[in-house]
Amino acid sequence: MFLLPLLLVVFIGAQFGGTSETRLGVVAPPGDASATALIDELDALQGIAVAPFDDAASLRDDIDRGLLSAGVVVPDGYDEALRSVGPITVVFVGRPDATAASLEALVAGAVGRQAAPGQAALIAAAGLDADPAELRRVALQVQDRIAAIEVTAEQLGSDELQQEFGGLGQFDLGASTQLLLFTFLTALFGSAALIQTRQYGVARRMLSTSTPMSVIVVGQGGGRFLIALVQAVYIVVASALLFRVDWGDPLATGVVLLLFCAVAAATGLLLGSTLRNDSQAGGVALGLGLGAAALGGSMVPLELYPDVMRTVARITPHAWANQAMAEIVRRDGTLADVLTEVGVLAGMAVTLLALGSLTLQRTLTR
Amino acid sequence: MAKLLIGTAPVLSCEGLQKSYGDQPAVVEVGFDIAPGETFGLLGPNGAGKTTTISMIAGLLRPDAGSITVAGERMSPTAAAAKGAVGLVPQDLAIYPDLSARENLTFFGRLYGLAKQPLRTRTDEVLEVIGLTDRAGDRAGEFSGGMKRRLNIGIGLLHRPRLLILDEPTVGVDPQSRNAILESVEQLSGEGLAVLYTTHYMEEAERLCRRIAIVDQGRLIAEGTRRELVATLGEQDLVRLEVFGDAVAAAEACAGVEGVRSADVEESTVVCLMHGAGSRLASLLGAVAEQGATVTGVEVREPDLEDVFLHLTGKALRH
Ligand SMILES: Nc1ncnc2c1ncn2[C@@H]1O[C@H](COP(=O)(O)OP(=O)(O)OP(=O)(O)O)[C@@H](O)[C@H]1O
Ligand SMILES: [Mg+2]
Repeated sequence: MFLLPLLLVVFIGAQFGGTSETRLGVVAPPGDASATALIDELDALQGIAVAPFDDAASLRDDIDRGLLSAGVVVPDGYDEALRSVGPITVVFVGRPDATAASLEALVAGAVGRQAAPGQAALIAAAGLDADPAELRRVALQVQDRIAAIEVTAEQLGSDELQQEFGGLGQFDLGASTQLLLFTFLTALFGSAALIQTRQYGVARRMLSTSTPMSVIVVGQGGGRFLIALVQAVYIVVASALLFRVDWGDPLATGVVLLLFCAVAAATGLLLGSTLRNDSQAGGVALGLGLGAAALGGSMVPLELYPDVMRTVARITPHAWANQAMAEIVRRDGTLADVLTEVGVLAGMAVTLLALGSLTLQRTLTR
Repeated sequence: MAKLLIGTAPVLSCEGLQKSYGDQPAVVEVGFDIAPGETFGLLGPNGAGKTTTISMIAGLLRPDAGSITVAGERMSPTAAAAKGAVGLVPQDLAIYPDLSARENLTFFGRLYGLAKQPLRTRTDEVLEVIGLTDRAGDRAGEFSGGMKRRLNIGIGLLHRPRLLILDEPTVGVDPQSRNAILESVEQLSGEGLAVLYTTHYMEEAERLCRRIAIVDQGRLIAEGTRRELVATLGEQDLVRLEVFGDAVAAAEACAGVEGVRSADVEESTVVCLMHGAGSRLASLLGAVAEQGATVTGVEVREPDLEDVFLHLTGKALRH
């Protein structure tokens, strides 16, 4: 019951990480029976593959490079410690993400199960021939020793990643990525209104009036833009007030968000002028909206992607906007620091707007 | 009044219009003029190319060839002035069902470039013309079919166009609304508006239009007043024979009878166009009987537009 959601998180993480299985590296003393049993138990879990490592250093290295999701270091004398009920520490190595957190819980569970008999024995041995109250006292006495059998977690990257995410409020990071996801999605869903206007024949009739086509197209695109902008502003204001989210330099954030809204609006215009009906639009909007958000780092931070994925992600406006917002929010960047991202977003907006206007004109005058 | 205006410069003149969808020709070499105060009818069956012709005249479609002039302005999809002189009432309803009648009118009035105050006055006038003053604030989606049609027409009148284009405005309308629509067209034309009216209802064309063009398969196959069109059939009578039996064989036999110019089949009816029907009816009936068919009904009358159409194309106007 608690395993399923954890596995789900690990699984989703693995999907977005671009590998089909979550790889867990393990350093274990050779010939240690309990360590072997632990490995077997972890390996048997769905979606998790255990990879043996000779030493902790190369294990950390591979986690750093994104080749492993996390790692476990089982110390020498693990089996002996369990047998003699002595203190021992299993080290869990992971990055600061949801996948690692879930894996840590899974490892802690497995180690806990191995340690449980010893813990029970400890209590029983100490409490033989004693009344319940005496047993409780004994249990309290050995509490320290029970706790000594543990899994300690160690987060990697006291260097890069740590710095990257350090000093941020709980929501600071999530807010901008979520904003991009929802704003884009909203603008895409806005295409339904344009489709309806087309279906009603009103769009075509507009073209028979003396208002130039360009004005009508801009009006349609503007409608989508306004919807996106309202959504974005709402999230910024609400999150700033409710969660005290820090949105960084107002000018830089404003420009990035405006351009992102323009890209979203132009995409909505394109969908609105090509798709046939509402339900089709709903499906495409959902698929494209969530797909682009996932690929573009609005679900899992881009920093955690393998290099190839990070390159592919560049086709999404989300990736550029996320990158810009990271610079602005995490590193106190100004407009000057995000000129590349701003340029790319502007380019995307112009290209998509031109494409959207053209297809709208074509569908209406056919 | 209307007659006085005829003879002045035409409001619409188009010539040599061509349009193909892919390699399928929809309009071939179509051209005609409409004078102020004149109602011109485009009469033709489904798929004849009426809507395509109208779309080009309204500047929605760019013709493959030919030219269109409206109120002295060359029409094209980018010609704002020419478009401002045209009021298009599309065949399919083009209104926002979620807006009220007044809101629909206001919305399009803005697109026609009317300023706020004149638009408000004009909206009231148009609501009066289309008989929707009482329902001005109600959602258009809740209107009856006839009321929606009237609103659809009202939008085309807002900006006082010189040319009103009505594309089958009475399709799916109850007799009462239809009559109201026809009456307002007559009134508008009386006020000097040029009207291009497409229909496949012959009676409407005969009632409203001074001149009528018959179109089929994209071509304008005849044009003139009702009288002129009927006269193309000559001094002839129309004989309709209800036949029980092989109607096609009966028609072939009729065609061989002296004086018969054409014999067409319309379901179980043989339609003959002939000279001197009075003296030759007996031979006609005999010819049918020889084919082993029985005549169950006979009608002799002067031909009308429907017959002109049948004669020109060999098929009925309505299906
Ligand atoms: N957008 C289009 N794409 C392809 N073919 C079309 C298109 N619009 C019309 N056509 C074809 O062009 C021909 C003429 O169609 P049009 O709509 O002009 O006829 P119509 O006279 O208005 O018919 P109706 O009385 O049914 O309204 C038809 O064969 C039709 O199938
Ligand atoms: Mg039509």
